Amino acid sequence: MVKFVLNGRPAEAPEGMTLLAAAARAGIDIPHFCYHPAFPAEGSCRMCLVEVEGQPKLELACSTAVQEGLKVWTETEKVAEARRSVLEFLLADHPLDCPVCDKAGECDLQDYFRRYGLLPSAFEEAKERRAKKVPIGESLLLDRERCILCTRCVRFGRQVTRTEELGLFQRGLKTEVGLFDDMPVAHNYSGCLAEACPVGAITDTDFRFKTRAWFLERADSICPGCSRGCNIIVEHSSGFPRVPGSRKIFRIRARANPDVNGHWICDLGRYGYAHLDTGRQESLRTKEGLLPGAPSWEAAVRFLGEKLAGLRAEGAARRAAVAASSELSNEELYLVRRLFLQDLKVHKIFLVDPQEGETDGFLLTSERTPNRRGAEGAGLKLGLPGLDVLRGEVDLLILFGLNIFERFPGEQLRSFFDSVAAKILLTHQAPVAAWEFELILPGAPSAEKSGSFTNVAGLVQSFAPVRPAGGQARAEWEILLDLAKASGVNAPFYSGLTGLEDIRREMGRECPALKVTS
Amino acid sequence: MTMSFSPKLQAEIREALSRSPAPKASLLPVLHLVQDELGHIPAEAERAVAELLGLNPVRVREVVTFYSMFRGKPLGRYHLQVCVNLACSLGGGPGLLHDLRESIGLSPGGATPDGLFSLSTVECLGLCEEAPCLLVNEERYEKMDRDKLQNLLGRLRTRDGG
Amino acid sequence: MLTENYGLADLATIAGYRARGGYSAAVKALRSMTPAEVLDEVKKSGLRGRGGAGFPAGMKWGFVPQKTDQPKYLCVNADEGEPGTFKDRFIISHDPHSVIEGALLASYACDIHAAFVYIRGEYEAEARRLEEAVREARSQGFLGSRILGTEFSLDMAVYRGAGSYICGEETALLESLEGKRGQPRLKPPFPATVGLFGCPTVINNVETLANVPAIVLNGGEWFRRLGTDRDPGTRLFGVSGQVLKPGIYELPLGTSLRELIFKHAGGMKEGRTLKAVIPGGLSAPILRPDEIELSLDSESLAAAGSMLGSAAVMVLDDRTSMVGVLKVVTGFYAHESCGQCTPCRVGTGWMDKLASRLAGGRGRRRDLDVLERVAGGIVGRTLCPMGDAAACPVLAILKKFRSELEEACEE
Repeated sequence: MVKFVLNGRPAEAPEGMTLLAAAARAGIDIPHFCYHPAFPAEGSCRMCLVEVEGQPKLELACSTAVQEGLKVWTETEKVAEARRSVLEFLLADHPLDCPVCDKAGECDLQDYFRRYGLLPSAFEEAKERRAKKVPIGESLLLDRERCILCTRCVRFGRQVTRTEELGLFQRGLKTEVGLFDDMPVAHNYSGCLAEACPVGAITDTDFRFKTRAWFLERADSICPGCSRGCNIIVEHSSGFPRVPGSRKIFRIRARANPDVNGHWICDLGRYGYAHLDTGRQESLRTKEGLLPGAPSWEAAVRFLGEKLAGLRAEGAARRAAVAASSELSNEELYLVRRLFLQDLKVHKIFLVDPQEGETDGFLLTSERTPNRRGAEGAGLKLGLPGLDVLRGEVDLLILFGLNIFERFPGEQLRSFFDSVAAKILLTHQAPVAAWEFELILPGAPSAEKSGSFTNVAGLVQSFAPVRPAGGQARAEWEILLDLAKASGVNAPFYSGLTGLEDIRREMGRECPALKVTS
Repeated sequence: MTMSFSPKLQAEIREALSRSPAPKASLLPVLHLVQDELGHIPAEAERAVAELLGLNPVRVREVVTFYSMFRGKPLGRYHLQVCVNLACSLGGGPGLLHDLRESIGLSPGGATPDGLFSLSTVECLGLCEEAPCLLVNEERYEKMDRDKLQNLLGRLRTRDGG
Repeated sequence: MLTENYGLADLATIAGYRARGGYSAAVKALRSMTPAEVLDEVKKSGLRGRGGAGFPAGMKWGFVPQKTDQPKYLCVNADEGEPGTFKDRFIISHDPHSVIEGALLASYACDIHAAFVYIRGEYEAEARRLEEAVREARSQGFLGSRILGTEFSLDMAVYRGAGSYICGEETALLESLEGKRGQPRLKPPFPATVGLFGCPTVINNVETLANVPAIVLNGGEWFRRLGTDRDPGTRLFGVSGQVLKPGIYELPLGTSLRELIFKHAGGMKEGRTLKAVIPGGLSAPILRPDEIELSLDSESLAAAGSMLGSAAVMVLDDRTSMVGVLKVVTGFYAHESCGQCTPCRVGTGWMDKLASRLAGGRGRRRDLDVLERVAGGIVGRTLCPMGDAAACPVLAILKKFRSELEEACEE
């Protein structure tokens, strides 16, 4: 560690660290545009200039390493003046688009301008006019007037994806970012470019004109799209009670985690949030006449609890089957194994996961489910049911999620389902109406419940709800705990579990690999 | 279909590649060769060069658009380049530009309708002791004055047979 | 003196060069000196870079690591883009072998085995001449493997630029040599440790290297017999503008500017009086007639608020409009800015827009204040020295010819 002096106070940082990173570490934000922690220093925006004692000129914080005894000042008048100058230059070549620009409210240029004094510009010449809506990828638009040539987008293509779609053409004030003719950005990380752009030059058509950044509510989560477990930020609006459709997810952003996803997330995860707002199953559904009165959780749990209690009869457990999926959380998979396999002695437990896909050589794994390792850690092995073998052998089927409908041909599935007396579905997505279930219990996606996933590298990551589950929907772990209690099986154990913390405690004891540490 | 270069050009490119520690580093020499042959560097040539050097075509375009001697579009048969830097300005450069506008209607960036002449202004050519200077394609014309300019234009027209 | 044989018919051929003692320094060095001894002589000579920065050549060579697994490179900077400068063109066309021999000696001193001459694209004829000289040198065993029967080998290639002033800046030159846009690199690291293809690299100007053979032959001390204490030797001063005899004049450093203009270059053209002098290429801040009692050496010019730079002296007469000069200056830097860093990219464009309005008769007095402010926002804040090169001349013209500029304003 190197000891140096930061704004008059002693500080320390690892050897070789830059002043900018070292200051950030100490909670001091040095303004910057071209710097990005994912890339080596670029040094072209000139915004991060700081005063170093003993140096006649201001130094770049992004490319000056800390040294023993170095004294740096990040907010002197000289520094402020230099930053105002850079801002004035940038704004002299920047359109006043804020009223129509998506980036407003989360724009570095706006933020620094406000921070350094809202100065009037001395620029009275004609501004450069450039193309404002250049498609550079399927969901990307480039506005060359807004571009401040920080080159993050160019460097992303060179250093992260190594696909090099973007380059710099011309020189001087005519410099512009561009593609080669018919070679647009077409990889699985295009959304990262819009996110990396510090201003509104690259905009994401998925988000374009939909809302204002300051209307967004933000919460951390873990992407459930594959087993990488990328850390994300879900940006949404709680909406208004009497305005249908106003409660929705607007955008998914990457959250930096050096151990999991670095600074990036893939497009599949980024743009795969539609299912959170459409096609949801948020209400209890029962088959006609199954339960007296309107479906209520109390009645549903009692009904199902009785069915589960009945499994303790001789030979009954052999005629029950559970088809879970590793889209469930660690806690839920633990409860599935604990309640069904261990306590109720149901051995026909299967995992029906989404179809595997191609990896993309970077973050996206072939497993398109977040918690295969969690299932393994909970003691559940992957296995699809053999429907032909099971036909006629199952009286009670408890099904989690809708993957079964994509993994098996319709005919085979109908034939099996017709042979099952009681089918219970726990799902957060509504099934196609054709299949009739005795009971449909509305569950919650990971964005609307607490839980943890174990990613492809065995890392356990916990998550909390971004927003409460809507309608009658509840987290599957809550439902399972209620069912366990209602079934009466192993009462001493389940009566001692009142909430997620208790479940985690037991889970950590029985399945050390799933222990939640953070 | 990638554009294929003439055997002569291909041989020259191979030779240039052999003289460099890395193929990508030969980009400028190769582009000079291509431009000498084709008169300019169209998109198909950018693509072909990229393929030959193992580069992304975007990199080739980056270089073609950065350097002022490389031209992406065809120019006149005789591309006139008048220096507008200090020594040449002092020596009468602006007068030459004026005459070119008056006599053949050429403005910087433009070309004559018959495609014979095009004009651009250039920065210092390093011929300052012979100011004012201009280039016709790669040929140098020094200590120019208005009469010499008219003579030159005449000769070029005649050379072309028009 | 460097140029003493210039003009003699066959000097540019290897036969002519050798007939006048050419390559005898190479023979001496390779046969009877160690690389360290060669380096030492150049250090002793105090030879300073003649491209514009004036950094001591021996010191620069000394920065190259001795022990390294990486190949090392020499780049001869023949980009000569500084307006007003034509000395390197002069050297290459008259005496290309002096450059080759200088490069050979530099390479020997630094244990370099591959050299590139980066010559500006516009110097096509000179590039051909240099290539021919390289072929001759190779055929006579002064380039290639086992030079003069020793273990030392050196390959040299000529590489043409394509029209970019900024490629004269050493790190932009390296980028261009690597087949990329000529965008300067952040320093540190310096080319001596991380240069061409990431390997240790020495970059020297043509004239700097052309001086090396005589230094090796006659010793570092000998070199100091002319010039000043801190700026020894001679320079090839290039005079252009409104003088009777524009051209190259090789003179010892320390010669007075007045003498250069009025004695050697023949003084002003008929009927014209001196109005201003730009002493070191367009990037050197302008001097008024009352400021030309100067010694032409790095220190004196720096003390006068200007610079020796590329020793290109441009002489302006009373018929020259300073508004026009301002426009030439801003137009040049706006055209040549690589665009990488904010202050230069936007600042040079902004200054040019202001100067254009001024030159078109649509300027106002307050525009001059803005111009001063913009130039001030560039100085000391850019990624490479071109920012200062763009801004300082503007500031100097504003300072010294303010009233003339004001008169050209609308109000």
